[in-house]
Amino acid sequence: MSDWHDAGPGQVALPYPFYADIVTKRYFDGVDNKNLTQVLNCFTPDAILTEATSNTVHHGRDTAIAAMFQKLFADFEAIWHGNFVHVGDPASNSICSQFTVLITPNGGEQLRYENCNRFYLKDRLFHRVTVYMSGANLLQPGDA
Amino acid sequence: MQYEPTLDRAALIEFACQTYFGAVDRKDMDGTLACFHDEASLTVQTSFTTHAGKAAIQRMFTDFFAGYATIVHKDFTCTVDEANGRIAASFEAVLTAADGSVTRLNNTNFWKFRDGRFQEVHVYMSGANVLI
Repeated sequence: MSDWHDAGPGQVALPYPFYADIVTKRYFDGVDNKNLTQVLNCFTPDAILTEATSNTVHHGRDTAIAAMFQKLFADFEAIWHGNFVHVGDPASNSICSQFTVLITPNGGEQLRYENCNRFYLKDRLFHRVTVYMSGANLLQPGDA
Repeated sequence: MQYEPTLDRAALIEFACQTYFGAVDRKDMDGTLACFHDEASLTVQTSFTTHAGKAAIQRMFTDFFAGYATIVHKDFTCTVDEANGRIAASFEAVLTAADGSVTRLNNTNFWKFRDGRFQEVHVYMSGANVLI
């Protein structure tokens, strides 16, 4: 699949529940429980995660994406994602999800965001992820 | 709220990207509003702005159409949930003001359909809200 592009042709469709499950039961479950290995296991090695509202781009699962999550987990004492509405599309191997984020900075007040993510998969893993946030970007670059 | 899906994949894409955005880009108010139910809502989630009901949506589009000499939405990448009557799309909006200044946004919309028209629209913008 060398000519892969977001939701492009040549994708192999997975069962519909796979898409909702990787987003909620694997990826965001890992984020909410600060399980970095579980989170990173959802990405391809050369994945790219982009925060669109600030145009912040994190290249590479084991470098920039890992560092970004390490910083997120260190800077916030509680993280919760829920109230999901999914647009799951096996035919294009992609899913777009809307959700609520409740997140508390260390020693601070809880923040509420209403965000969306677009997930484009390569085979069974996230290859391109785009995040839109309803407030200031929380996914800042870490020390890769 | 879950609604009975009535449009297939091709029809969902056609409606969102061609019928709706085609009308918006032509500044065709009647064609734009025909895509919405009377009690539909359009929310710009990245700025927590909601336009509830067709009258409020019309008022917003009146100002939006007047604010730009040309409006172009293009380069759609669609994710389609045919079984649930929902579609999301990323796209570029190129908005050119009367003075020639250009605003470019890389946005994502989520559309929830009921009986072949929009019941709920959520817009996530990469920049400042232009649907005020």
